[in-house]
Amino acid sequence: MFEVDIAKRHIASNKKGTAFTVLTVAIAVGVIIMSLSISSGSLRQIVQNTVEKNPHILVMPKEGEDYIYLYRNLNQSLSQYPGVMASSPRMVGQGAARYRDQVEGIEFIGADPVSEDRLMQISESVVAGDFSELKFKRKAAFLGVTLAENLGVRPGNDIYLSLRNKTVKLKVAGLIEKGTVKDRTLVYITLDVAQDLAGQGDVVSEVGVKLKDYRDAPDMAEEIRALTAYRVESWQDFNREIARFLGTQSRINILFYGLIFLVSGFVVANTTIMIVRRRTKEIGMLMAMGATRYSILKIFLLENLMLSPAAGLLGIAVGVAFGKAIESYPLDMGSGEMGITRIVLDLRPEFAIYALFFALLLNILAGIYPAYLASGLDPVEAIGSE
Amino acid sequence: MSDDIIVLKELSKIYGNGVEVIALNKVSLTIKAGEFVSIVGPSGSGKSTLLNLIGLLDTPTNGQILLKGIDVSRASPDERARLRNRELGFVFQYHHLIPEFSALENVMIPMLIAGKSKSEARERASEYLKAVGLEDRLKSRPNQLSGGQNQRVAVARALVNHPSIVIGDELTGNLDTKTSDMIYELLRDLNRKINQTFILVTHDMTLAEKTDRILRIVDGKLVCELLRQDDGFRTTELCDLGEDGGKINLK
Repeated sequence: MFEVDIAKRHIASNKKGTAFTVLTVAIAVGVIIMSLSISSGSLRQIVQNTVEKNPHILVMPKEGEDYIYLYRNLNQSLSQYPGVMASSPRMVGQGAARYRDQVEGIEFIGADPVSEDRLMQISESVVAGDFSELKFKRKAAFLGVTLAENLGVRPGNDIYLSLRNKTVKLKVAGLIEKGTVKDRTLVYITLDVAQDLAGQGDVVSEVGVKLKDYRDAPDMAEEIRALTAYRVESWQDFNREIARFLGTQSRINILFYGLIFLVSGFVVANTTIMIVRRRTKEIGMLMAMGATRYSILKIFLLENLMLSPAAGLLGIAVGVAFGKAIESYPLDMGSGEMGITRIVLDLRPEFAIYALFFALLLNILAGIYPAYLASGLDPVEAIGSE
Repeated sequence: MSDDIIVLKELSKIYGNGVEVIALNKVSLTIKAGEFVSIVGPSGSGKSTLLNLIGLLDTPTNGQILLKGIDVSRASPDERARLRNRELGFVFQYHHLIPEFSALENVMIPMLIAGKSKSEARERASEYLKAVGLEDRLKSRPNQLSGGQNQRVAVARALVNHPSIVIGDELTGNLDTKTSDMIYELLRDLNRKINQTFILVTHDMTLAEKTDRILRIVDGKLVCELLRQDDGFRTTELCDLGEDGGKINLK
């Protein structure tokens, strides 16, 4: 195929043009790789810090009831349900915590520490103490780090927890840092103590359920809802902001990638048009020698196509390098609602395939118009062109 | 079988971009295989248009072009490309060699377009470069060769596919007299040896007078035809020397 030979020579001889095209596509690919990795990293961080540290599904009291009475049966059924990884009956409520003169509003969760750990991966967030102690020490509490700071308490101190007219004295057994706003209000206590505080007997306010795949939550919630009379909500229902963010993020990304594609496509097309203009006489002469319009089209498309692997690979390198640089830069994003504390890169092997595919598509699409222009040249005018 | 290689019947080319310009006006002509023909005329007379039509680079507005007895005047672009590759060879005023390719590679291109293997193309291209005296410059690129050498490469490129007709458009226009003579001798030699048909458009009357037949075009019309006879030329009945002042220098 003589078209391949000519395309190869064009590439080799036009070093500046080739470098410009490769660089343009590489930058576009790099930005996309970086953006994909950051986006995926953020998503993973959000999921890890929020969705995975919370129940995927909450089963709540039946309509008209304030508590779940037969929670042990319900919990057993739920834990055996296909796709369920863990379930934990909980007594959740709001009250106040006092240490010396300091009083803070709190949200307490009373639960079995083992079940709760499987549900919420609490151990990963414990920064002081051993969460399993709650199993053996009835009058113990684990506090969110910010709450402890605001109260001025340390592990070993005694605090008072009050709900309506009831107060219990608890020893701070450890601290929890979830990296979210919950750190300001969270208090973990045993289920017994929570039930005592609530004063409603052996009941719970909800059963938290963790699934193997958090994305199955809406369907699973629907199934449980259909099988029982309990109110059931998936994490998408009680974390609407996060669910909306995760949903819109992919759309914003597509728009962003589309714009990058468009801009870099124009740059590549423009470079190729310049190459075609410079080679007008040569195209005319090739036509005079019998090259068909299709052959001319092929030469210029091949030229762009041959640059794709190099541009794609360079783009991956650029993307990874910049991504790593951004990741290593100490950027404090604060402790937001979304659970993003810093930029984290999630470089996945499939991104390299996307990048190569993107480079290929960009080069082909950006090359079609200039190649079509070249193939449509009138040989007489092309040879006689100045 | 007739040895008419090109027959033009009432061939016209009209450019119509707002105002109609008749570039070629009902030209009829027959060229036989092995003829060495020159086309002369003032600038803008239509000689290059005629050459482009004969070379199937352009399509006529009216009339017919018969190449080896086949009407090719309405052939599709792909069919014309195929015919240009197999039946025609071009040499222009500027060599139009691909700058990134060596002399050998440039000469190989028409054969590669024809679908010949690289080894066959290399072998034959080497033979032709040898025939034009460039056997020691096979690997040289156009920028490493002189104007005359590049034009000789262009001649080898035009001949390599064994075309029926070689078309030259002012092919010596950029060359000095010595190189110009050398190119002419080369073409003439091939014409004699292999009965190759040549049609040359030229401003250079010295070159034209070396050919066997001179066709003079003025204002898109064939106004005169001179045929070699002994040491000079004889005019045909077509000739109207008064048309543009009769500037042909007849010996």
